[in-house]
Amino acid sequence: MADLLQFVVAGLAQGGAYALIAIGFVSIFAVSGVINLAQGEFAALAGLCAISAAGAGLPLLPALLVAVAVVAAVAIAIERLAIRPVRRMTTLTSIILTLGVSTALKAVMLLIWGPQGHTLRAFPGSDLTVAGVSIRAQELWILAACALVGGAVWWFYERTLHGKALRACSEQPVAARLIGISLTKASLVSFGIAGVTGAVAGVVTSPIYSSSWEIGLTLGLKGFVAATLGGLLSVRGAILGGILLGVLENLVAGYVATGLRDAVAFVVLIAILLARPGGLVKHTEARV
Amino acid sequence: MKRSDFVAIAALAAVFAVFPLVVPTALVNIGVYALIYALTAIGLTLLMGLAGQVSLGHAAFFAIGAYTQAILVTRYGVPLPAAAIAAVGLAMLAALLIGLPLLRLRGHFLALATLGLGIVLAVSVNEMEFTGATTGIFGIPKPEFGGRLYDSPEEYFWLMAPIVLVGLLLARGIVESRIGRALSAVNDSEVAAESLGVDTFRLRLQVFVLSAGYAGLGGVFYAHWLGVVSPSAAHFSMSVEFLLISVLGGLGTVWGALTGAFAVEFLDEAMREFIPVLVPGAAGEVQLVGFGIVLVLIVVLLPGGLHQATRRLFARRRPAAVPVSSGDGEPEPRRAARPERGSPLLEVRGLTKRFGGVVAVDDVSLDVRAGEIVALIGPNGAGKTTCFNMISGVLEPTSGEVTVNGVRTDGRKPHVFARAGATRTFQNLQVFRSSTVLGNVKVGRHLRSRAGLLRGALTLPARAEERMITAAAVRCLDAVGLAEHAGQMAVDLPFGLQRRMEIARALALEPDLLLLDEPMAGLSGAERRELAALLRRLREDGMAIVLVEHDVAAVLSLADRVAVLDDGKLIAFGPPDEVRQDPAVIAAYLGEDADVRD
Amino acid sequence: MFETRGLRSGYDNLEVLRGVDLSLAEGELVALLGANGAGKTTLLRTVSGLLRPFGGTVRLDGRDIGGLPAEKVAAAGLAHVPENRLVFPSLTVTDNLALGAWTRPRTRAEDIERMLDLFPRLRQRLGQPAGTLSGGEQQMLAIARGLMARPKVLVLDEPSLGLAPKVVGDIFAALARLRHELTILLVEQNARAAFKVADRVLVMDRGKIVMSGTPEELADDAQIKQAYLGGGF
Repeated sequence: MADLLQFVVAGLAQGGAYALIAIGFVSIFAVSGVINLAQGEFAALAGLCAISAAGAGLPLLPALLVAVAVVAAVAIAIERLAIRPVRRMTTLTSIILTLGVSTALKAVMLLIWGPQGHTLRAFPGSDLTVAGVSIRAQELWILAACALVGGAVWWFYERTLHGKALRACSEQPVAARLIGISLTKASLVSFGIAGVTGAVAGVVTSPIYSSSWEIGLTLGLKGFVAATLGGLLSVRGAILGGILLGVLENLVAGYVATGLRDAVAFVVLIAILLARPGGLVKHTEARV
Repeated sequence: MKRSDFVAIAALAAVFAVFPLVVPTALVNIGVYALIYALTAIGLTLLMGLAGQVSLGHAAFFAIGAYTQAILVTRYGVPLPAAAIAAVGLAMLAALLIGLPLLRLRGHFLALATLGLGIVLAVSVNEMEFTGATTGIFGIPKPEFGGRLYDSPEEYFWLMAPIVLVGLLLARGIVESRIGRALSAVNDSEVAAESLGVDTFRLRLQVFVLSAGYAGLGGVFYAHWLGVVSPSAAHFSMSVEFLLISVLGGLGTVWGALTGAFAVEFLDEAMREFIPVLVPGAAGEVQLVGFGIVLVLIVVLLPGGLHQATRRLFARRRPAAVPVSSGDGEPEPRRAARPERGSPLLEVRGLTKRFGGVVAVDDVSLDVRAGEIVALIGPNGAGKTTCFNMISGVLEPTSGEVTVNGVRTDGRKPHVFARAGATRTFQNLQVFRSSTVLGNVKVGRHLRSRAGLLRGALTLPARAEERMITAAAVRCLDAVGLAEHAGQMAVDLPFGLQRRMEIARALALEPDLLLLDEPMAGLSGAERRELAALLRRLREDGMAIVLVEHDVAAVLSLADRVAVLDDGKLIAFGPPDEVRQDPAVIAAYLGEDADVRD
Repeated sequence: MFETRGLRSGYDNLEVLRGVDLSLAEGELVALLGANGAGKTTLLRTVSGLLRPFGGTVRLDGRDIGGLPAEKVAAAGLAHVPENRLVFPSLTVTDNLALGAWTRPRTRAEDIERMLDLFPRLRQRLGQPAGTLSGGEQQMLAIARGLMARPKVLVLDEPSLGLAPKVVGDIFAALARLRHELTILLVEQNARAAFKVADRVLVMDRGKIVMSGTPEELADDAQIKQAYLGGGF
């Protein structure tokens, strides 16, 4: 029983990170139909930036803010330089294109930070043990960040007019343009959001999972699976999908074999797509 | 396959024959890699260009081929060719298992699943003792055939060149074949291609499996050339490289795989030389920067790849209006006799469609018999097109049954409807944009011809059939008076002629039942009369025709029976004279008038 | 006030509009008729910037708006209420209306009130997601959303499409009320309804305006009668 709880706790934390990345996928895909394979790189880059900023003597919080700001700027630059110039964007094109972006980003990170992994120093707070289950302070930070950022994104889409304008672009792009909402601006904002959520995932996980140039790929794939679990169009679904995937992975790693951890996402992806191509979360907004 | 292809292959063969003789060994070595990767990229090009799908983990199939070959040859002493067959087969099997569930879904899922497969495979070969873990499998011998040992770059290049050429030739054959034509149609308009009987899923799966086969074969040659297979064969950067080759060469063309491979390999080599000079101490993998940036630049600036660039250099050439002979006495393909006049062809029972809370079509039942024209009329938004979409399999009904020629087709794909002997046209035209008028109509012959992937690849066996397809397509164009436009690009035709072309395309299927969605729309008076005459002739031949039409005058003079839909319900169904007098019909049409009279 | 000169447009290689000249006076309500495929929707999509014209000009209040992207055209004062309504289904009626005022947020609250007076049926639906409205209510919402920007010109594509006669009556009554407040270009299959409210009627055929006149003049035209007013039934 303690084992089970232990796995679930670890899974929740990991799932929180997946959820944040999944939100980024949803944010971009909903507005422009682009699958952004560089999503995981946002997290890797943010972790590495934060490590460098902290290494340069900045206190933790400013270091984190710098990292998030840098990645958001990178995300926006990507939208401007790589996404917008393409005249006929299909999902297929977007995959190839963002794969190129992701590859270039990876290599830049490799150039700057080298091949080895780095770890950001842990956030303040002490680890605790509840009912025989040890919980690391960092895991709580991850969950808090997921709740905070996820909640903020949700609030933005549900409660603000600008968020609703983005939803309008996603549901009826033609009608949105006809009332004066610019799809190009919407796309830019969606990349900004994806940059921020990805970056937050990267900095909060760095102290326990470490950051390196190559973590983005698997992280991105997991985030995509999580987003797909949630139907690819729903923030709520993305969060639930992320948590679910994290827990499932840790249960399999704990009870079956550690090596199989990465296979779980893949198997889950196929199983879910077969059973419910629309995702696990039922959402009323039909995007045709 | 065109004559120019054979010329190109012959020219390439000559170049390949002398290449190792005239360039330094170091460059021949790069050439060998280029050939290995070209072989892999040919499959990827087919997958992306024809099936409109992308694999982000093609290195997985490559690695499956390489590892299988290595293990079979070094551990079990299996002869090379037999091992190669097993290696390629295993790669194809893996693709089948992944494609079977995922290719039914749209777009990006295959891409992500292959990416996942790549990661899983890379992790597994790294972990498993069976695959030699991190060190991999070594000691793979250089191939030896007929006492000749292929161990130098020159020899290996000569060994591979013919295989790559054959691979290209087969791929070209497929692109030009019935299958290639059907898949290209799917990329232009999936719903139209399906309605002509193209089983999109099946064809895509075949192409995906084939592309994995090419990758597997690439892996086999890779294993023998390196003598060792390590986890790096499955590494993600390999997948990126394959993708880059295909995209750089040009997605629409298999030749691009070859040019792309040579370009990327030389680029790779150059970057290996230059980047350490530019950035001291940079690791070898930094060439990924270059790959990434080149990939982005190509998609943004040169979506057609090198192939497009070279084409742009030369004058832009549209296929000229090729004179097409109408068949030179080819035997007319005969099909089973039409159903007997008056026998029931289409039965619709309780057809209902709800969108959210709105009932678009409400419990519609009707039947259509061979040799009659049934018109479906009603105010805009009454549910006519929704009805058509459900009958033809484009839309799944909420409830109700559709039976065509005794086959239940409701809720199944449009190609099932087509196979049952029925097809349709579209209100908003669904033209296959990338082909000629003749090419469009040839897709209509899909179900009346049989050459599959294999026969298409081999070209020659499919020749006679291709001639028959062309002849039949020309006859259909003749029937609608479009024969002189056969060689024009379909999108260049004016609206009215595109509409007629769609009808010719549907006729090419020789359907028992033809559904026409507003065939008269956008046609001039004379064109309408011609079309009406054509429809009467088809009825004489025993075809059943259902049409949605706004031109009420045309409908009443043409149709044997008229079905009237209002607000999703069938309010009348009978001979025109009867329907004209029906109080419910009068109310439905005139009611609008009564209400706005203020 | 609003005019096009020699407007040509279409899709890729396919030219649908082959030189459209039309001109609307301030406050005029003009109905545009034509068979399916005549190019009516293409015309609306071109003037509102969803399609780039191949050639010709579009002028609104003397300003050339031809070739501007749709969001700029909207800000310039032309509201296009598209075919099939296209309301934002997951957003509430209030949100749909509020977004309608995207280009002029200042008058938002006041204009929502104005719209609810014009279409009282929307008042009971304010908090409901637009996707759950009936077809008629969605059409009203789409028109109201377009009006929220206080456009100078309103172009409407088939507002009666698929609606019950009673609802069509309500919508046309609202249009009659808007008449003379702003300039309206109305594409309509329901010719009888259109004839009742229009100041002038244009007929389009294969990419050109082929006839123009007052409803009274055109109603007597034998061709029009046969094609649009349904002699058969």
